Amino acid sequence: MNAAPRSDLAVKLAGAAVYGMDLDLPGMLWAALVPAPVAHGRIRSVDLAPARALPGVVAVGAEDLASLLPRGGGDPDRPIFPTGEVAYRNQPLAAVAAPSLREARRAAAAVRVDVEPLPALIDIETAFPDWPDAHAPPSPYVIAHVHARHGDVAAAFDTADRVVEETYRTASVHQVALEPHACVATVTGDRWYVQTCTQTPFGVREDVATLLGLPEESVVVEGTWVGGGFGGKGSSLLEPFALLLSRASRRPVRLASDYRQEFELGRTTLPAVIRLATAVKDSHIVGRRVRLLLDVGSSLPGRDFATGYSIGFLLGPYRTSTFEVEGYGIRTNKPPFGPHRAPFAPQCAFALESHLDEVGRTVGLDPDAFRAAHLWREGDTTALGQRVGPFGLATALEQARALARRWRAAAAPGHGVGIGLGFWSTSTGAGGEVRLVLTPTVLRIVQAEREIGSGSVLRGLAAVAERVFALPPDRVRVEYANTAEAPFDSGVFGSRTLGALGRAIVEAGEKMLGTLAERLGAPGPVRLVVEGDELVVLSGSIRRPVRDLLNSEERTPGLVATGRHYAKSNTIDEQRVVTGTFYPYTDFTGAAHVAEVSVDRETGAVRVERYAAFQDAGTVVDLPTARAQIEGGIAMGLGIALTEEAVWSDDGRFQNAHLLDYRIPTLGEVPPPEVTFVEGFPGAGPFGAKGLGEPPIIPVPATIAAAVRAASGAHVTDLPISAERVARALKLL
Amino acid sequence: MPPFELVTPATVDEAIASLRAIAGSGPAVIAGGTDLLLDIDDGRTAPGRVVSLRRLPWRTLDWTDGALTVGSTLPLRSLEDDPDLPRRLPGLWQSVHAVGSVALRHRATLGGNLGRAAPASDLIPMLLALDAEVDLVGPDGSRRLSVDAFIRSSRRTTLAPGELIRSVRVPESRPSAFLWQRVRPANDISQIAVAVAFSPTRPGWSIAVGGMPPRPVLLTDVARRLGHGRPSEELLRDACDRASREVGLASDQRASEEYRRRLVGTLLGRAVRAVVASGEVPS
Amino acid sequence: MTDDSAALWVNGSVARLQGMPDDERLLDTLRWRLGLKGTKEGCRTGDCGACTVLVDGKSTLSCLTLTREVEGGSVTTIDGASDDPELKRVSAAFTAAEALQCGYCTPGFVVALAGLLKERGRSAPVEELMDGLQGNLCRCTGYAAIARAVALAREDAP
Repeated sequence: MNAAPRSDLAVKLAGAAVYGMDLDLPGMLWAALVPAPVAHGRIRSVDLAPARALPGVVAVGAEDLASLLPRGGGDPDRPIFPTGEVAYRNQPLAAVAAPSLREARRAAAAVRVDVEPLPALIDIETAFPDWPDAHAPPSPYVIAHVHARHGDVAAAFDTADRVVEETYRTASVHQVALEPHACVATVTGDRWYVQTCTQTPFGVREDVATLLGLPEESVVVEGTWVGGGFGGKGSSLLEPFALLLSRASRRPVRLASDYRQEFELGRTTLPAVIRLATAVKDSHIVGRRVRLLLDVGSSLPGRDFATGYSIGFLLGPYRTSTFEVEGYGIRTNKPPFGPHRAPFAPQCAFALESHLDEVGRTVGLDPDAFRAAHLWREGDTTALGQRVGPFGLATALEQARALARRWRAAAAPGHGVGIGLGFWSTSTGAGGEVRLVLTPTVLRIVQAEREIGSGSVLRGLAAVAERVFALPPDRVRVEYANTAEAPFDSGVFGSRTLGALGRAIVEAGEKMLGTLAERLGAPGPVRLVVEGDELVVLSGSIRRPVRDLLNSEERTPGLVATGRHYAKSNTIDEQRVVTGTFYPYTDFTGAAHVAEVSVDRETGAVRVERYAAFQDAGTVVDLPTARAQIEGGIAMGLGIALTEEAVWSDDGRFQNAHLLDYRIPTLGEVPPPEVTFVEGFPGAGPFGAKGLGEPPIIPVPATIAAAVRAASGAHVTDLPISAERVARALKLL
Repeated sequence: MPPFELVTPATVDEAIASLRAIAGSGPAVIAGGTDLLLDIDDGRTAPGRVVSLRRLPWRTLDWTDGALTVGSTLPLRSLEDDPDLPRRLPGLWQSVHAVGSVALRHRATLGGNLGRAAPASDLIPMLLALDAEVDLVGPDGSRRLSVDAFIRSSRRTTLAPGELIRSVRVPESRPSAFLWQRVRPANDISQIAVAVAFSPTRPGWSIAVGGMPPRPVLLTDVARRLGHGRPSEELLRDACDRASREVGLASDQRASEEYRRRLVGTLLGRAVRAVVASGEVPS
Repeated sequence: MTDDSAALWVNGSVARLQGMPDDERLLDTLRWRLGLKGTKEGCRTGDCGACTVLVDGKSTLSCLTLTREVEGGSVTTIDGASDDPELKRVSAAFTAAEALQCGYCTPGFVVALAGLLKERGRSAPVEELMDGLQGNLCRCTGYAAIARAVALAREDAP
């Protein structure tokens, strides 16, 4: 397809793009949060008087909500400021604003906080030493329980030739968008206006309205440029505090995280323990058991999305008719679990793929062939009874195996080549809408999302419209509008943007072309061509400029058509569900990755030498941005695989809350990957496109684990695969 | 984070005087500031006055009779870029290159690194193995002492009130090597760093190990066992075992004690072999 | 002690810094005192490189630099990209390679690479340039497109 340069390059390279961190309004105050001093405790008092005694300081705490908010607050389960117990260390107990950041921090430090410490639950394993042998962890800590099964699992295990059972452990990882969260709130009258760097302007609107007890229409969210999201900038984080302080001070209020807070307050992937058991008969899998203990932090009961969502990734893209899965979401004294690019799926794929590698070796088969034999094909049924649609993973695996054979043949001593697989399903979320506006010279796409970097908004949506209208890139403009002006969209997440908003553009485009055909009096389909400055509508020999087809009300802004796309309802076989919420898939995409690594046999140090990805993409809509997603996803996955790990102390401190000790990859550790798209297996997006934001990160830890094992024999069952863990697996320690 | 007063003396005497003026209340000295400012931001130190060395004539580098003298405020990047350094003191070049990023090395200094005495410093082990000395200047005149005597403990030196590091002196060119392991190769702190040098005049080996609190240490006894030239493989293996057994190590979030012992032995063997491979160690 | 005669050259213009506290960081001076928001605030601990500027031609972490310590010096930021030949060259290479996504690390990368080209010359080996960029973190691109931009920014680039 025609590749146009991204329209955001120039403004970003000039340093002129205004991100949330760059917001700077005349007369604004600077805000700071008052952090909880313990991970768990009973709040005795939060005394704001010493802060208020400082010049120019405005402070808000729990007791001010009644006077500041029309209904005194919103969601009783999620108070803005807790009054009973502290749920996690650094949880905001109050907020202050002052003329400068220095004064705001001084004021926050002056607040007298009295909290009676209570025992904190931090490490799920020390809390439940008998898991997974005991049936279930003690119920007070369980906030989510999901359980599904099908077939006679006990019989399958009893009659198996071999049973392989293993335990895997995965670490807490952080999104590390380089821009911290930042917003400026300006409350005037009934208008609660906030500018913020967000992946979900409408999500922030809904969240703020719920938390503050406001009608949604009175909250207006204005997205800024976003310095990376990766799931961390969905829903609200700082906005409610800034809005409250603006209400109290009648001034614009800026609130931004420093990078330490970015780690400490961030909602992200937390640790898990995974037990996998597989029964094999005649070289085939005949039964599977999966048990998951997932740390969901201080997520609320009934609000946990992670446990039921992620457990499907432990069953994986494999034919599984006789199985039992059971997962527990455990509430701990950490911030709530939140989405991190393909939430928890890379960790699940690591455990599952490494396990199948082990199972294949145990029964004496080539692990890659063993996986290939069990992989979903179109028309198969998933464990939860969904029909598998067009799915290119088997083809991707074939191509990956061919490359791996070449790499293995040429591999130096101490090097090893491994393959890892992953699957994903585009999340269309709550759906979304766009407004197309055709002017005499240009097609405008008006929609709610700011470009967060992937290009899915500015390039992806433009590419869809260019294709629908056969227009050159310079005649299509993607425009952003705030939540008061734009049609609804649920956000840039779940690899959904191109799929959902793209489909909405197709729908709106077809309507618009229909209207133009009617007005032209054309017997057949019409198309648009560029003549000089003008856009002209053509059908056979009939032609008229767009200008002449607009009626008087349409001179400004232009001819308007709206399109919408909402997800279809699910097709899970509820008979297989014992309890809990599982998530249905909309379409099926997969990726097969190949890595060549070298392992230092004396220290265990791993170096990634070469990397390749074969990505089922349905239809590639814009090649450079598609490739960029794969390259970026791989690097982020290498962090999960090798170096990233949030370290929580027993008293709930995030101990490496800075970018020196929380180690994301630098450019020395990421070899430029070879990227191949597998097309021909259409997905739910426009023209059969599939989402690409998340799929490329999923197979990476599994791929590295397989390559490390091939290079050294080290079978590492914990993430990250640090040199020390490899050294232990090699019995060097 | 209370504001501090920055003073920028134009002469060494003025600098000493301005340090003395508030001696006792903890004035801080700033060279590049890349470490000090982090500590101020984190509230680990809160000096009322910070004395800048930027106007002092100490951004110098001099080779005389094979000895290298580096002014304490010379940016590490300038030291790294000295054309003779990789040849005469390869280990020192390697350790300087291992510090932070280019942008950090444009401001960070050798004097600052010593004065701040970070337990995980990559430079101090190499300076120890090179028998480097520091030249100090203070209210009572000048003195020279070994880096080993200068570093006392984590974040503690023998610098007296009012004293400044003027320069660092490496007495002779030595075949040398600096090896480290980190969780992430770039922009990280070493789990273990091993510095090895061979003195042609003594003749003999020096070994220093860094990467663990409270401070980098010289392994004098192990070095002596390597003899006066190229050690046999057996001798080297024995030295590595001894080093990994004897050196004082602990576990922290970067590595366990066990793993550090493994690294000490492995990296020491590799570093000695690398120095031998330079061809400048007699058999 | 506040020295009201303090001044700095920023992108070729003189900036007077009346009333500036002694502990002010160059990053904050640029962004909040002079309104030059092109230089980005990331970690503020010297670990991400987003705040990299040139001071007298050399890449510098503006978050770990006291403004007073570079008084009288010449500071170049991304906001001055159109006036500096190396910055222009690197920007063109980043455009051609589409070497950015969210763009937050981009000013730091562009400035750091421009600094390396000034320091090492436009024909410096690509490995040396890449090695010199290890202090700049990018979470979006996986560095592959940045590597392509580095190759394009060199003198003998095709």
